[in-house]
Amino acid sequence: MTTAPPFDPELAAALAVISEQLPPALTPEMIPLIRKGTPLAPISDDELRRGGAFEIEERTLDDLGISLLICRPTGSTGHTGCIYHTHGGGMILGDKRTGVPGMLELAEPFGLTVISVEYRLAPETPHPGPVDDCYAGLVWTAKNAAELGIDPDRLIVAGGSAGGGLAAALALMARDLGGPSLLGQMLICPMLDDRNNTPSALQMAGLGIWDRTANQTGWGALLGDAAGGPDVSPYAAPARAADLANLPPAFIDVGSAETFRDEDVAYASRIWQAGGQAELHVWPGGFHGFDTMVPSAALAQDARQARVRWLNRLLSA
Amino acid sequence: MKDLAVRLAALDADASAAVQVIAYFDGLAEAGAGLQSIVRGAAVLAGCPARLDDPTRRVHIRVLPDGTSATDPDQVENHWPHATAGSATLRLERNGPPGPVDPMVLERAATAARTVLDRTRGRAPAADEIALIELLTDAAAPPDARQRAARHLGLPPDAPAFAVVLHTGSVRVHAATENANSSGHQPSNGMANTASTGHPHRAGIGPAVPILELPASHRAARTALRFTAAGTDDDPGEPVIHYADLGALAALATIPDPGAVPDVITLDHAATTAAWLLPTLHAVSTTISLRAAAAKLRLHHSTLQDRVIHAENLLGWSVRNPHGLLRTQLALTLRSLRRNP
Repeated sequence: MTTAPPFDPELAAALAVISEQLPPALTPEMIPLIRKGTPLAPISDDELRRGGAFEIEERTLDDLGISLLICRPTGSTGHTGCIYHTHGGGMILGDKRTGVPGMLELAEPFGLTVISVEYRLAPETPHPGPVDDCYAGLVWTAKNAAELGIDPDRLIVAGGSAGGGLAAALALMARDLGGPSLLGQMLICPMLDDRNNTPSALQMAGLGIWDRTANQTGWGALLGDAAGGPDVSPYAAPARAADLANLPPAFIDVGSAETFRDEDVAYASRIWQAGGQAELHVWPGGFHGFDTMVPSAALAQDARQARVRWLNRLLSA
Repeated sequence: MKDLAVRLAALDADASAAVQVIAYFDGLAEAGAGLQSIVRGAAVLAGCPARLDDPTRRVHIRVLPDGTSATDPDQVENHWPHATAGSATLRLERNGPPGPVDPMVLERAATAARTVLDRTRGRAPAADEIALIELLTDAAAPPDARQRAARHLGLPPDAPAFAVVLHTGSVRVHAATENANSSGHQPSNGMANTASTGHPHRAGIGPAVPILELPASHRAARTALRFTAAGTDDDPGEPVIHYADLGALAALATIPDPGAVPDVITLDHAATTAAWLLPTLHAVSTTISLRAAAAKLRLHHSTLQDRVIHAENLLGWSVRNPHGLLRTQLALTLRSLRRNP
């Protein structure tokens, strides 16, 4: 295998510290351990309120078997745009608060509401449970837009990592099943391809964050023995979709030094080839999740700003 | 995998925090990070704004604890914790009680910054800087002109400084930093530092002296440079020599024609017959035992034994008793002096 691309200097230094707590490779035996472990920092109500900028509410939808975290701009009157968020965690970790601070940072300057869904995790709940939960929440959100104070025509799906894969799947499902019309899909270093055999997946094995072994663990938990096989649904692994036409405009970003680089670049290319709109950023020397793990790094600042600029163009179009 | 975040900013005062600070700055140095990354690291890890100012090199970097750059709105406060990095000063804008990792952050960041400054900006001093250094090291120049030159170069007026002469002939002047070697007369400085971290600068270093005595430090540095060697098989020896370490050896520099000394002629002649001779003699005469010399040369002990016997036959004197070792060292040193007139 060829040499892996180098990490950005600041990220390399941070990775030396991070790797002690979070090894690149995760195996199935480590799932319970890592769920209990410290790396998954709990996110407090206070952090979600962002100094009073947001009012938060948790709503349980018993008939759907899911719950939603709803963060509305404080004192907003009228209908706001909405980011419908599916959290990351390799399909096996996290909850509806995971990754929400980053979404709120994006939402605040635009006065958007953020709604984050609690979906059931693999391996306890294999495909299609997790994505069906996410889709049920999306449909409910669109249907109850008036009551939620959101504008159903300004609904954006967004997520990072496994959440990015789920957001991409929601865009496919909404298209195929006559679901809510979406203004955009923000796919942050998305986990798209269960085949796990791109050059970047092979090249970055044992390096950085969420390497090929960890990815195998995630896909194996979601799909069991079907992972990598012939009959995987595009709603589980959006890279499997035969048709990427007629999707909402996509924002895709990824690091050059991570497993997902090539599947994410390919997804953007296939959207263009299908006549769609996509904006792709490949951040040189970025490892998986660098923007949230090392938010102060110059590359992370630039990556976050690129998302703000895309949203600005999308929302003012 | 979002938010499996390790918050570097949340480091606490325990030992592992210090280890992480060290690991972080070592990582930056290893990856070849630039000055802004280093200052950003200091700001993020200390949790307060950090700045690096080097008026002589026109470097001004200021970073807030969230990692964003910001121009400096504030005057420098004297009570801020700081560390010098050559002619630059790294400061933490800490107005309250000191943070738990402040000293470690300062030390590590200043060391990293100094290395980068020497690497990226040290090799090409501005033309006016060269002129100022010439003035500063010229005993014939008026004292007040030399004081002014020192100020323009960013040297603290009341602290000692020292001269460095590089093999290329260029001269540098550095303020002696607080963390100078405990023996008090050996300045710790960027030059020695880069040499020890594998960027071989060949240099002679003068003693730390008051500003107006820098001409003497400069002369001493020139002398020290003559004792340096390339560190190759052909020219074994140390690439960086502190004048203060030479002691009585410095007197050898006054010998008019070191190449004419018979032992040097013998040594040169012997060296032409065996390529291993010079590095072997250097190792044997600068280590405490043949075993240590063998380890330094990465030779088997018995191989070295054979070479030593062979060398003694070529030279005509023993290299295993104190007198013979002194003779060998003197011959090697005089050979260096002949090569560096």
